Amino acid sequence: MKQHLQRQSGVANVDVSLIDGKVEVTPKEDGRIEPGQLLKATYDSGVSVAELDMTATGKIVKDTSGNLSLQVNPNQSFVISPNELSKGLERLVDSATVITVRGQLYKKPAGKQKKADASAPLRLLILEVKKE
Amino acid sequence: MNRKYLALLLLAGCVFVVPRLEAQIRHIEMRVEGMT
Repeated sequence: MKQHLQRQSGVANVDVSLIDGKVEVTPKEDGRIEPGQLLKATYDSGVSVAELDMTATGKIVKDTSGNLSLQVNPNQSFVISPNELSKGLERLVDSATVITVRGQLYKKPAGKQKKADASAPLRLLILEVKKE
Repeated sequence: MNRKYLALLLLAGCVFVVPRLEAQIRHIEMRVEGMT
């Protein structure tokens, strides 16, 4: 699995902890990493993903459908799932403010052995606003 | 004169070159099952 993930574009380093089942992925400084592809690569290596968390820096924007999103680069953004923390980010829409957040992009549905669909857009559930 | 001008230029450069947060994914952590 480690080799599978390290072959993905934008990946600098992969750390696997067999004891607690954690996989930490460090992106390249200037690389673009695609969490959906990481999810798919993990499943392709025969391992099931229970949860995927991401720490990212970006701007808060609204997409064409009016959804609040975190834009990490001009061609990559993640729709934010509404919660208490996301409400506080509304005021930053289209401002130049860059924030760092930690959020959950994927959680395995309870009670189902459903394979993750890498083509489905991942929604970001904000868990922590680190820097504003 | 030239030295003064260069010192001023350097000072102005320090004022305007402020470290800024670059938008990007910084870290990804996955919890996996079925890993041997």
